[in-house]
This record gives sequence, C-alpha cells and structure tokens, in this order.
Amino acid sequence: MNTSTEDLAEFRAEVRRWCREHVPADWRRAQTVAGDAEFVAFQQAWFQELRTGGYAVPHWPAEWGGGMPAAQQVVLYQELAAHDAPRLVLGFVSIHHAASTLLAAGTDEQRARHLPAILDGEIWVQGFSEPEAGSDLAGLRTTARREGDGFVVDGQKLWASGAAHADWCLLLARTDPAAPKRRGISYFLMDMRSPGLDVRPVRNAAGESHFCEIFLNGVVIPAENLVGPVNQGWQVAQATLSAERGMTMLELAERLGNAGFRWLVEACRGPAPGGGRLVDDPRVQDRLAELETEIAGLRALCLGLVERHEAGTAGPADASVVKLYYSELLQRTMDFAVEVAGLPAHTELRKPASSGWESGAWVLDFIGSWEWTIPGGTSEIQRTIIGERGLGLPREPVVPA
Amino acid sequence: MSAGPGTAGAAGASTPQDVDDLRELHRELRDVARDMLRKTAGRTGDDEAPVPVDWSLLAGSGWLGLEVPEELDGAGATFAEVAVVLHEIGRAAASSGYLGSAVLGVGALRLLEPGAGRDELLAAVAAGEQRLAVALPAGDDVTIPFHVRPATPGDAPGAGGGARVDGTAGFVLDAAEADQLLLVALDPTGVPVVVRVRPDDPGVTVTGQPVVDETRSLGAVTVDGAVVDAGSVWQFGTDPQESVRRLLDRAALAVACDCLGLAEAMLEATVDYAGTRRQFGRPIGSFQAVKHACADMFVRISVGRELLAAGVAAVASDDPQAGVAVSRAKSYVCVAAVDVAGRAMQLHGGIGYTWEGGVHVYLKRALLGRALFGAPAAHRARLAARFAEPADDPLTE
Repeated sequence: MNTSTEDLAEFRAEVRRWCREHVPADWRRAQTVAGDAEFVAFQQAWFQELRTGGYAVPHWPAEWGGGMPAAQQVVLYQELAAHDAPRLVLGFVSIHHAASTLLAAGTDEQRARHLPAILDGEIWVQGFSEPEAGSDLAGLRTTARREGDGFVVDGQKLWASGAAHADWCLLLARTDPAAPKRRGISYFLMDMRSPGLDVRPVRNAAGESHFCEIFLNGVVIPAENLVGPVNQGWQVAQATLSAERGMTMLELAERLGNAGFRWLVEACRGPAPGGGRLVDDPRVQDRLAELETEIAGLRALCLGLVERHEAGTAGPADASVVKLYYSELLQRTMDFAVEVAGLPAHTELRKPASSGWESGAWVLDFIGSWEWTIPGGTSEIQRTIIGERGLGLPREPVVPA
Repeated sequence: MSAGPGTAGAAGASTPQDVDDLRELHRELRDVARDMLRKTAGRTGDDEAPVPVDWSLLAGSGWLGLEVPEELDGAGATFAEVAVVLHEIGRAAASSGYLGSAVLGVGALRLLEPGAGRDELLAAVAAGEQRLAVALPAGDDVTIPFHVRPATPGDAPGAGGGARVDGTAGFVLDAAEADQLLLVALDPTGVPVVVRVRPDDPGVTVTGQPVVDETRSLGAVTVDGAVVDAGSVWQFGTDPQESVRRLLDRAALAVACDCLGLAEAMLEATVDYAGTRRQFGRPIGSFQAVKHACADMFVRISVGRELLAAGVAAVASDDPQAGVAVSRAKSYVCVAAVDVAGRAMQLHGGIGYTWEGGVHVYLKRALLGRALFGAPAAHRARLAARFAEPADDPLTE
C-alpha cells in the first residue's frame, strides 16, 4: 500500500488525467432535462467508465476489484468532486449497502452470484422502512412465512429509493411474529422481478420521484436468498450498515468540501446585486470560514472513521456521529447558499440528475438536505444512538406495544 | 525524568511502526499526567482560590523540558507531546505556570538564533530552575507591544552599549510568577526581536491582573525606559515576522488544547451526573432532551479533536501553512468548549450553578480561553482572507 506523500501526488496526477479525459462534457445540461431512461442509461455508462478506470468500487476488498487504501480513496473523491464528475446515484445502494452486507454476512454463493453482477450494473434497493415502521424500524410488519423451500412475503415497504430501477432488494421481514421484535426479523435478498411485487413512485418534497412504495403480495423468496440465520436479520443489518455508513461518507464529505463549498465561494466572488462582492463582506466571510472549518472537521472525521474501521477500533457510535454531522452540516451549508444566492436561486426549477447533494440549484439542494436528516435513521435517532451506545447513558423505558 | 517521552517526535513518525510507538508514548504520557493532576489539581486555599500545581512536581515530571533539546537536558520531543500535557492540564482545569514557561517560553527561545545565553536559559527552564513568561499580544490586536532603541542615542542597533526598552503588554500569562520575562519587541528598524528582562529590573513593572477565571494567572508588563545589556536582545533565527506569527500560532493552539481537555471533562461529568441523578422516577439521562444534548456535546468534541489534531501535527512539524489548521482549531474548539461547559452547567441543574458544584470553574476557563490569542471571529477573518481570490490548487492542503 503506497500512501506516502510522493505516491499520493503521483496518484492524484493520474486521477486528474483520467478525469480530464473521461468526465463527460456538459453532462449537467443533458441531465437537467433527462427523462428516466436517459438517466438510467447515463448512470450505467458512467459506472462502466469508472469501472474501466479502476475507480468504481475502490472501497471493496482487493479480491473483488477494490483494495484502494483510504488515503488514495480520499484523493480519488477529491478529484472526482473537483472535476465535477457525475455521482453514482443509481448504483449507490449496490456498491455500498448491498456489497457490504454480502461481504460481511453473505454466503460464498451469494457473493459469487451478486458481486460480479453489481460490477456489471445490477441495481439494488433497500427495503427496510414501512408506513408504520420508520424510526421504530424493528417494529416492521412485513411477514415472511416459511413454505417448502422458501419464504412467502406479504406487506408493504416505503421510502425505497430507486426501487423503480432496481433488480434486487435488501429486504427485512418478520419471520417470527411471537418473538420480541428484534429477535423475529430475517434478512433476505429479493429478486425485484418476482411475481406479486408492485412498485409505485412517491413524489418527494423536492418534486422528484425516486422514492417508491413496494407492495408485496405472496412474493416467493427461495431459502438460499436468506442472509445470515433465520430471525437474526436485525443483527445482520446492524452489523453491516453502521460500518457502511462511514464508508459512504468519505465520498460525500469530499463532495461537500471540493464541489459544494468551492462553488459557494466562487459564487460569492461574483458581483453582488448592490455592488461590490459578497466575499468582501465580513459577515459573509465569517460564515464561509466557519463552514469551511466545519467541513475540514467532517473530512478528518470521515477519514478517521474509515481508518479506525479498517483497524477494528471504531467506537460503537462513530458512524452515527459522522452521519449526524454530515447531514446537519450539509443542511447548514445549503441554507447559507440559498441565503447568499438571493432571489435568482429560486428560478432554478430542476436540479440535474446524477449530481451531488450540492448541485448548485441551491433552493432544491436545501430542500433535498432533509433527505439526509430524515432517512437512514433520523438525526434524533442518531443522537439517541450516540447517547446510549457512545456515552452509555440509560436507555429510555420501553413502552409495550 | 519519570514521564519523559524519549526522543521520538511527531515529525519523525513516518512508518506505521513509528506511528504506533508514538501513540503508545502519548498514551503513557497522558496516563501519568492525568494521574498526577488528579492528585494535585483542583485544590483551593484558605481564600478559596485555586492552589497552583506544585512547581517541583512539574520540574520532576520532565514536562518543562519536553521541547528542549537533549543536549540541554531536555527531552528533545515536539509540540505533539506538549499538546498531550496541555490537554490534561485543561481536563483538570489546573492552575499552573506550564503554559507561560514550558510552552511559550521554550517556544520563543527555540525560535531564536542559537547562542550561549539562550541555551543556558533553555536548560534552566527544562530543569525548572527558571520560570518564564512571554509578553506578546494576547488578544485580537497583534501589534507588537515593545520597542527597543539604543541605550545611548546615536548608537547602531545591537551595538555594545545595550538597549533601552519601552512598552506595555496586558494579559501576559504567568507573568507574576516568572523569574525572567521575554518581551516581543521591535528594533529601531522595525524588525521583531526578543528582549530578556527581569521583573525587578529598574523600569520594569509587573502587575497582577485578576480575571474572573481564577485558575489562570495573568499580569500586565510595563517597561518604561529599562536599560538592558546587548546580550539580552536576541534575534530570531529565521524570518522575524514569520517567527512572531509562529509564536502566536503556538499560543493559540496551546489554549485550544486546554479547551478541548476541559470540554471532555465537562462532558464526562455531565454523563456521570445524568446517569445517576433521578427525577420523575428515572435517571435524567434517559430523557431525550438530556441525552440528545449530551450527544451534541460529544459530536462537537469529536469534530474539535480532529481539527486540533491537524493543528498540532502542523505546528509540531513546522509546517509553513500551519496557520490555517491553527485558526480552524482555535476558532472551532474554543467556541465548542464554551458551549459544552455551558450545557454542562445547564444539565447539572441547580447544583451546576453553585460555587461548590465546580462547573463554573470550567465555564470561566473556557470563556477566557476563547478570548486569549485571537477570538474566534479574528481567526475566521484570517481564514476568510484566503477566499478573496481563487487559489492555485485548492485541493492540495
């Protein structure tokens, strides 16, 4: 693993060269007016482009096509952000959540079946939340009933991001209704082409429809698609996802610092409506410096988490700290961007598909930041995890359902 | 020395083995410091004012000479090790002259041109025989407070006839207890130098400046035409303006180390209290309002720790760009420390507001730390100056 300063500089030069040659010109304009099919085709093509360059799954183990040291990953994500490369939006769950679950808890057959397929463009969706199981995820009601060689699933999933395009689903379902709620859940890999499955888009606050409802009526899942032991699904999800939360943040933190924040500063260097430049206004300077400092802290926090994760020394609430801090810092940064961008920002009616959480359509970006503070465990849930697992504070009394 | 870190410095850590060794070294240093300070810090005298940590204990620990070269009987370590001690002193909210002598005094001397006088003083500081204070700008105004002119009008600067010094500096850390004062001054050509005086020299007055935070000792140093011999006017070893800036960065970062330590202590005290104090039939820490406030304190401290580590690494390795990391650390950590100590007072409820409860000691120390060596807004203004024009390569930092 070469991560000396010289090696990193050489790697950076290599990534820069690659970005200049491969980041599609003017993709933003095309993606701002793109329909669904164009979006999917563009995402798939970009994924293969990155894969050919060796940059699609740097965080995977070497035997599966990754193995890049964390310090190099940081450089890669910095350069992709600085060159305004499209983000892997469609494949996000595939390369992160699905892969980490398979690597940590999947069987050899499951890994061999799906990891190469993900590299070929297999798309995954997460089927966790339900209408009555949001923050209280363990209260989920979708059932999986053992029948012969498989399980029969009935229920409803909600907030399944990207379900309309997904080939496979990471599914949590109740296999023992009599057990305490965290002891009766199993973890499945579900083929989205299964009969009995219906997907309907839900329009979100930003006006987009990548969230979906999934209706499950007698969907059959073969037993070999169970991940981990029956009724241990909650434990599998906990073990695989909190660590993963940190890894995804490495990229997002560099995006925020090297794309979002830089554009914000550049915007402040332009002429201000009343004359002069915003960047010369001490009030604006103060806020910019504060945000930049916080982003520097976030970046260091993410790298630290990845390194501790690799060394096996990460604390039980470290991933929650990073998720909470990123979500709220993104929100604060976008709020400020909306403020300094003034009325013209409100005329940006669409953000380009395939862009980051900070696309430059600041009003929509700010609205979209709640997609970070609510899903994946709300900020309130993260604070409870930090308080209880990180600090050892007493749990709240459990109210019987 | 009993708790010396040996010769390894952060700057020399290049292999994973070095990094592990250094980490282990810091852990040892931290444990010894924490143990020693727990036994000695926090005591108050008859007047209820904090009793400073016994100087002989500091001298015996080897901490006073951490950054003093080995050939001068120091430990030959770096600011990375000093930062560990500062952090522990902050955790204990200890009253001690460590910052004035071992951090600012040694830091100033090490920026000077080597010479017999300087080396002798470094060795004496390491041994605990001489205590120092450095009179440098302590607030947002970084104007150099002292001026040097030839003792005999018409003499060239630095000529054999000695020099005459004028000026005044407020809020000089550990001035009242110092055996010698290092004044940051401008020579007649406007070049920064360091002048060594003694508090009882004619024309030198040191007056204690009581502040709300009783754990710190501050003094005003007034010099009115004091005459010093030529051997007491010392030149900086490299670019003098840059050297002063580095000294100010060191001071700001030292205070940030202290503030992170005290914030950690406040979070731990609050978590302990919230786990045992019961209201409405259950520990208050089980209520979300309290739990989430503690989580926020934890997040601020986690972020602050990262920013501080970056600052310490930059200063310990003499990074020419250290100012950015220092200003980030100082502005973030010192704001966070006030916030954390304030929340600690709130979450301790009525007992938190009592003198006896002791939270006020930390809140006052955090407030003074936030103001010393550049308020957060001043450090942010320094950071923001970089935004005015596009950088050549904003990604390489």
